[in-house]
Amino acid sequence: MARCSCELPSGRFSVVIEFQGVNKWFGSLHVLNDITLSVQPREVVVVCGPSGSGKSTLIRCINGLEQIQKGDLVVDEKRVGDPATNMTLLRTEIGFVFQSFNLYPHKTALENITLAPIHVRKTPRAQAEKDGRELLAKVGLGDKFNAYPSQLSGGQQQRVAIARCLAMRPKIMLFDEPTSALDPEMISEVLDVMVAVAEEGMTMMVVTHEMGFARRVAQRVVFMDQGSIVESGAPEEFFSNPKTERSKAFLGKILRH
Amino acid sequence: MIWQQLESLAGSYPLAMRGLGMTVVLSLIALVFGTLIGFGLGILRIGGSRVLSTVIGAWVDLIRGTPFLVQIFLIFFILPELGIKLDAFTAGIIALTNLNACFICEIVVAGIQSVPKGQVEAALASGLSKWQRMRQVVLPQAMRVVLPPLVGQYVLLIKDSSVVSAIGLTDLTRVGWLVVQRVPNGLLVFFLVGVGYFVVCYPLILLARRLEKRMSAAHGEVQL
Repeated sequence: MARCSCELPSGRFSVVIEFQGVNKWFGSLHVLNDITLSVQPREVVVVCGPSGSGKSTLIRCINGLEQIQKGDLVVDEKRVGDPATNMTLLRTEIGFVFQSFNLYPHKTALENITLAPIHVRKTPRAQAEKDGRELLAKVGLGDKFNAYPSQLSGGQQQRVAIARCLAMRPKIMLFDEPTSALDPEMISEVLDVMVAVAEEGMTMMVVTHEMGFARRVAQRVVFMDQGSIVESGAPEEFFSNPKTERSKAFLGKILRH
Repeated sequence: MIWQQLESLAGSYPLAMRGLGMTVVLSLIALVFGTLIGFGLGILRIGGSRVLSTVIGAWVDLIRGTPFLVQIFLIFFILPELGIKLDAFTAGIIALTNLNACFICEIVVAGIQSVPKGQVEAALASGLSKWQRMRQVVLPQAMRVVLPPLVGQYVLLIKDSSVVSAIGLTDLTRVGWLVVQRVPNGLLVFFLVGVGYFVVCYPLILLARRLEKRMSAAHGEVQL
């Protein structure tokens, strides 16, 4: 926190997300242990690991849903947690997709999507609605603009949630176990949308155990355990030739099924 | 015989209507201001600074934990000692508004807290400001939980307004006291006073019940 952003080496501007020795504790639990990680523009990074390994916390720190206690975290050239950083403004550049969708139940699919563009970006309502309908069509829900979340299936809700993030035209998209709450038959419809977003060049960090997705679009897989990054590498390399005992044990468990 | 007694009360009819009018006016003013202030307090209790939140919490506890009669006496008799001149009507309005604001504050706080954390996080993550989150995401959903007990609180307010008769305001209850001194059958007088209150309160009770049913059916959208 002590350093000011002007001291950032200029050559590092090609990095969108940078963790430098980041630590976080929940009480006595060391939930992020000396994390150092950088994500390049247009890169797709999949974060996996056993439950409680800190992977959700890791990406929740990026948009300030959780606060880091030690180390440096720079996102889009702004230091997260620095009083000089306008977090509200920074968050408009970061889309966040939740495991439990978190659509606003009192608003229709279209209203969910247009809320932030209208109130935060000050986009005229007509324009926001036009964009919103296009986004809904893009995620395969062009006819559902008037539906309330309670009238949509889990997979449909998650696709609306992704469209809601895209409506802000973010530079980064974060996904926190986006398919974990879904019935198996709905997982692929959500993953297809995520693949499409990745293929358009979005910078993404995705906490998931969907190894098929990782193989298709990720440039890198990061394996976490007990708050630390244990291993990191290209998907093919990581899946076929894990280097540590812990990643071998983890892959053994999730790939067996 | 009942008929005769009712006839003997007929002369008090204009007075009773005045009393009922006073009860309704007092309640209505305290309802409007109490609701506005109560929502303000509830929102600040959750979203304001720690100091503000603690002060509001302490005040609400104090008011909820003391009898209304005591509060109204304090306002009516103590404030003039401090140089603040108050007529009985203003004192009654202040006391009733304050009492209601405090109870409504608690109702609003409970409503806000009932909104799942993920809703606030979603709004936060999309870059909505604190007040936008409250206005667009939290309050509309909190209203589901808030509305039925809010209307219930209005019923209590109307009944609590009877306490203002203690500082000499001629509301429905005080009219009862005045009439009872002139006629033989006090029981009938207060029966009619009770009917007067019930006539005002019953529509609200029905509304509260209707809202409760509506709320469980809606998609979180509040439609009256």
